[in-house]
Amino acid sequence: MKTIILRNLSTFLLMFAFAFNMQSQSISGIVTDDNDVPLSGVNIIVQGQNQGDVSDFDGNFNISNFESGSTLIFSYLGYKTLNLKISSEDVLDFENISVSMERDLDELDEVVVIGYGSQKLSDISGAVSTVNSTAIETSSPVRVEDALQGQASGINIISSGSPGSKPTVLIRGITSYAGNDPLVIIDGVSAVIDDLNSLNPNDIKSVNILKDAALASIYGVKGGSGVIVITTKSGKRNTKTSFSFNTSIGTQEVIKTIDVLNATEYVAILNEASVAAGEGIIFPDLSSYGVGTNWQDEVIVEAPIVNHSITASGGSDNTSYYVSAAYLGQDGVVAGGDKSFFNRTNFTTNIDTDLTSKTKLIVNTNYTNIKGKSLPENGITSVLSNALNFDPTVNPYDNGQFGISQTITQEIINPLAQIDNTHNKGKTDKISGKIELQHDFMDNLKVTSRLGYTYVDIYNKYFVPFQYYGSGHNQTNANPDLTPIVTIDGEGNITSTHNRVGENYTNYFNYTYELYGNYDFTINENHNFQTVLGFSIGENKGSNISAANEDVPFNSWDYADVSAATGNATQQTSGSWQYVTRNLSYFGRILYDYNEKYYASFTGRMDGSTSFGKNNKFGFFPSASFGWVISKEDFFDSVPLDYLKFRASYGSLGNDNISPQFSLISTFPSYVFNGSIVNGSSLGSIPNDDVSWENQVQVNIGLDTRIFNNKVSISLDYFNKTVDDLLFSPNLSLYLGTPSFPTTNIGKTESKGIDAAISLNTSIGALAITSNLNFTTADNTVVSINNGDKYIWGAGYGIPYTPIVRFEEGYSPGYFYGYATDGIFQSQEEINNHAIQNGAAPGDIRFVDVNSDGVVNDEDRTKIGDPFPDFTVGWNLNLAYNSFDLSVFTYASVGNDIYRAYERNLNYTNRFASTLNRWTGPGTSFDEPRVTFVDSNNNRRASDRYIEDGSYLRIKNIQLGYNLPEEIVDLLGFDDVRAYFQVKNALTLTNYSGYDPEISAGGVLNSGIDYGTYPQPRIWSLGLNIKF
Amino acid sequence: MKNLNRILLLICFTFLFSRCTDHVDYEAIEGYQITAEVYFQAESDYEAALVGTYDPLQWLYLNVLIGDIASDNSLCGGESATDVIGLQQIDDYTHYPNNDNLTSIWRWLYEGVNRANYMEENKSNIDFDSKEALYAEVYFLRAYYYFQLVKFFGDVPLFTERRLTAGDSGTLVRVPKEEVYAQIEIDLQNAIDNLPTSQSQIGRVNKFTAYSLLGKVLLYQDKFNEAAAAFDNVIGVYSLVNDYGSQFLRLGENGPESIFEVQYTNTSNWYDWGCPQCSEGNFGIIHTGPRGWSGPEYAQGWSFNVPTEAFYNSFSVGDARQDATVLDIEAFASTTGATYTEGYEHTGYYNNKYIPRAGESGAQTELNYLTNYRAIRYSDVLLMAAEAYNRGGIDDGIAQEYLNQVRRRAFGDQDHDISLTGTALTDAIWEERKFELSMEGHRFFDLVRTGQAASIIDGFQQGKHEVFPIPQQEIDISGLTQNPGY
Repeated sequence: MKTIILRNLSTFLLMFAFAFNMQSQSISGIVTDDNDVPLSGVNIIVQGQNQGDVSDFDGNFNISNFESGSTLIFSYLGYKTLNLKISSEDVLDFENISVSMERDLDELDEVVVIGYGSQKLSDISGAVSTVNSTAIETSSPVRVEDALQGQASGINIISSGSPGSKPTVLIRGITSYAGNDPLVIIDGVSAVIDDLNSLNPNDIKSVNILKDAALASIYGVKGGSGVIVITTKSGKRNTKTSFSFNTSIGTQEVIKTIDVLNATEYVAILNEASVAAGEGIIFPDLSSYGVGTNWQDEVIVEAPIVNHSITASGGSDNTSYYVSAAYLGQDGVVAGGDKSFFNRTNFTTNIDTDLTSKTKLIVNTNYTNIKGKSLPENGITSVLSNALNFDPTVNPYDNGQFGISQTITQEIINPLAQIDNTHNKGKTDKISGKIELQHDFMDNLKVTSRLGYTYVDIYNKYFVPFQYYGSGHNQTNANPDLTPIVTIDGEGNITSTHNRVGENYTNYFNYTYELYGNYDFTINENHNFQTVLGFSIGENKGSNISAANEDVPFNSWDYADVSAATGNATQQTSGSWQYVTRNLSYFGRILYDYNEKYYASFTGRMDGSTSFGKNNKFGFFPSASFGWVISKEDFFDSVPLDYLKFRASYGSLGNDNISPQFSLISTFPSYVFNGSIVNGSSLGSIPNDDVSWENQVQVNIGLDTRIFNNKVSISLDYFNKTVDDLLFSPNLSLYLGTPSFPTTNIGKTESKGIDAAISLNTSIGALAITSNLNFTTADNTVVSINNGDKYIWGAGYGIPYTPIVRFEEGYSPGYFYGYATDGIFQSQEEINNHAIQNGAAPGDIRFVDVNSDGVVNDEDRTKIGDPFPDFTVGWNLNLAYNSFDLSVFTYASVGNDIYRAYERNLNYTNRFASTLNRWTGPGTSFDEPRVTFVDSNNNRRASDRYIEDGSYLRIKNIQLGYNLPEEIVDLLGFDDVRAYFQVKNALTLTNYSGYDPEISAGGVLNSGIDYGTYPQPRIWSLGLNIKF
Repeated sequence: MKNLNRILLLICFTFLFSRCTDHVDYEAIEGYQITAEVYFQAESDYEAALVGTYDPLQWLYLNVLIGDIASDNSLCGGESATDVIGLQQIDDYTHYPNNDNLTSIWRWLYEGVNRANYMEENKSNIDFDSKEALYAEVYFLRAYYYFQLVKFFGDVPLFTERRLTAGDSGTLVRVPKEEVYAQIEIDLQNAIDNLPTSQSQIGRVNKFTAYSLLGKVLLYQDKFNEAAAAFDNVIGVYSLVNDYGSQFLRLGENGPESIFEVQYTNTSNWYDWGCPQCSEGNFGIIHTGPRGWSGPEYAQGWSFNVPTEAFYNSFSVGDARQDATVLDIEAFASTTGATYTEGYEHTGYYNNKYIPRAGESGAQTELNYLTNYRAIRYSDVLLMAAEAYNRGGIDDGIAQEYLNQVRRRAFGDQDHDISLTGTALTDAIWEERKFELSMEGHRFFDLVRTGQAASIIDGFQQGKHEVFPIPQQEIDISGLTQNPGY
């Protein structure tokens, strides 16, 4: 691999023809495509000089003051960029150069993989967004989804800063309370979003997002949440081996900490709270506390991130190959790499070879190894929650031991001690890929036989050691010296606490076998047909086995293993689970166009699944679309647009997020006879034999246009999705008891919105500019839920647990539900004049009597926020000037609310800086209530007091690159060397007070709740791309 | 390469024309799951289902807590004014139909009923010798669950034939509690007819358990003669233990005074905070533990259900039950050097009958206390029998005798015997129930049953608070009527 191969640049030179003229100082000519059709709008730049031109309608260009021996750079969207060194020795006529540009099939703008086939982008009458490898490489993401955020319209991605974590991915809004993950297709093989954690983003050639029914319905019941089609790189025939080495090293930092009370403020506030509750001063001498400990500073660190990859690709007459190896290492900014990291190693081999002149074999194999450690996140027990809520008067360490709070006895603990006491590790080994045969039966009939598979082994281990957080603390399980707590009861029986270790293995295997034929034909020259017909059969299995035991020797992580633990039979536990689902589908599609002017498509898929009820085994999902390139009509000539196309589609899709249903006997119930546990049984679940898929109907209307000599292209889509037969576990009468109730199809949602994208491709002198702006909006409504309550609860927070998210008829899905507040009671008189609010005193929060019944109670809870943005905007700007390139990516999310749920609110837990503006007497505060140990008004109840506007604008990525001069590159023996400097999450503009306004805890009904979210770090990095 | 074409065609045909639709069939056995279709085929299935019917007894810790929190005995306590808000509201008499704790009680009791009914539904599948005796236990349990429902909610939906399924949702209405009582009596009579006088396993109910519950159910309906007759069968079968307090300790469990005891253990490692009541331990116990306790004998807990000072001081001097019932935490801490923190509504007193005792829990301390719940004790039966004899005008002498048996054990002498008659005796019996049975979950229901609640409990409104509200969720889903005043 380390052999440096000098590549013959002359292949580039084959693509043009030229004439020769020694005298002229200006150069001019014509640019055409490979069919000699003139190209207008091509950027032409003289390398290293501040001049250039753009080709006109007829492909003509003209550059004055051209020095012989300079290089001309021709660039045009969808075509390969061409570098021409032109000197008077080679060129006879500087006034009449003819340049032919080759279509770049790698550029997604041209050919789009659409599932069981591909199509030119301009021929598509459905709605698709594409992201090419450049955009992905520029963002150098940990997971490929991060690179999709804001790069394509119609897709909304909400990420977390936690290393390697799965983001929330929504294509065109929210249609279901569950199962909104899009389908992922990697090189034709179906996968899920979770699989993207094992894909090396550098191996990706293109990502296409199939958004509407016309495109997605070829995937039928799995296409309801959109489809992400990923194509990985492959080698090219008849090219020598070329190598590419990419490396970057960066450091991650947390930009913001949250203002909490310092030690002196804390004790003063606690004194006030105690006095307000009629108790005494707790801390008589405020002067001795100082600022104390800011626990956030103790746990948040700068952490490294590194990314290396090397690839080799090339091909002979009948074989091409792409081989890559990559390593990514990301440490967590909370506590650092000892306890929190994500390391991924990939090996990818993509080989295709001609077995005969008509038969091609493609074998893609990807092996991934992931290792990681993690700390508790997103909850009351997370490290950040402890850092925010722990007692600031406690020292990090006292006499070599972790500092202990004498007053906090529940959940909240010294976060440093927590980090020290958290021991776990995880390891994933995964092999995925495909074996595919393509056979040309006739000139235009190709049959493809493809077996795709994924095999995953996951191993996890955890260790809960003896830990001490103070006597009587509910997280303490040991004495201060970490010996077990031994208790002797009245009768002399001895019991003891234990440490504990657990291990578990999980295995997943799935395969999909597909066989389909593509038959393309033309009738009467102008009627073009592309057809496909085939079937797919697959199986998906998972199994797990786990074991745990107590009494780990030496209370040490080094010895933490079930095999080493000495607990007896009653201390050991074990468990297992398994599942299998299978599906069988038939699909077909006809793509038609008349002279590339009128388009139509008809697609259908019939899906059968083990998940569906006995009475509904197969579902059919048809769609149709129509397209009209208006600009090809004669009457259009006078319109000042370069291109105009109208698209419309209509079709149905599904969602199969259910499991098979049965009347299951649960053997979980047990009781105690003779002092021993006896196992019993009960009916655990009730089936619904009629359950089926969620049925979605989607309409899409779109326009594509180009103006200003094709420099600006605009794409606009309107969609409307309705989902009938929404799957629910309904709320049935409580007198049915506690079995799991059957999932039934009883709801309806509607989503509509606009996806828009504008791109600009031009140059000013030697400055090449490409920029694109895209806009995504989705307005979601739950139209009906036919259960008794008309809503289901989503996520909640806190102790005691309070649900705050609802999926409710007449509202947007996943909205926040709680009390509305209306300032602070300034006086008893004000309380007397207000609706009855039990326990209220002056200084407490006024809650709104929403239903005006004169009493403030649960019935007054209402919509207080919506975690999903009104719209998102992504803006990419790429500039190239001589050897420099700059790309800046900015993303904005507008109108998303955040519920702040990281405040534990115990009497002795720390409070937030806003407490300093609390009410202390009439007129002192109108938004921050008094402090008191006896919160008789329940000021902390779920209310809009905790809602903040989470809108933000973030410069997600800035990358400045420099291509080393050719002489130096040549000297080094390379083809191309680029160095870059990158800043990710450079700047965030937001009014949100928490760590990060981008909050993902996974799932539609758990969005926008800030449990002390893992912030997205700012990453500074330096990188190098070398080709040889 | 012609072979390749053949292989492709072969694959094509194999998949297209064979096992296609089979491929998407799925049977529960693939997931090693047992379905109702293959169940109730052996006697062991019935025995397991019976165990499953006993199981919800272990979930009823809230029923016990509310019996005292809603009464004059104790305050709700806890960590703060909002800690388990549903219980706080019941303590303060501000509770209304949205109450998670009452919703749980409703649902868990009906799960018990449904499990019993599921057995009823499958009763005739096979025959075996002990079937009638086994079903006698089922009927007892169904009676117990319905009795709790009637005590808490008054008129409730009544069904007995089969387990309800999804299609039954929203179809039932509340029936007058008299009808529910009638069914309870039928079930208990069935149980009495077929239960043995003793069981081989501790924890299973016998004929006398059923008589005791029947007597209690009759007493709740003021059917004094029938109640007295039912209790007569139990008198003399059990005996009072000498040391009153000892029966609430671990060694006192299932003792000679215990007639019906809900069984718990600390030997299971299983727990799930998502279903805390589902563990094999008693989840009620951690609730009543001293907050932040660091000291001998007891273990720390959540300081709920704290007895009031007035209640503690209401015991007569020399009554052994005072300190067995109530723990003076301040006094105990100062003698032992222990430390603790004060919870909400700290009174200085804890429930000494049901309290976390050191070393009595298992893997997940909060969820695995072994402490059994003594649901019916012999002293309760003696006092109920006394009340039936007295209020039924049958024989005040017998009533005095039963009452004094209880008092002699409490005071250790006969100097405190009572020789009152008529309503004065009634009052004395009622007063005695307070001292004998407090902090065991009976007080509120006794006060309601005897019409004393409004005069004794602060905030109690006559005509409203005798029963709790039907959960709002059930009203919304099932269209049930609400109790008056809510």
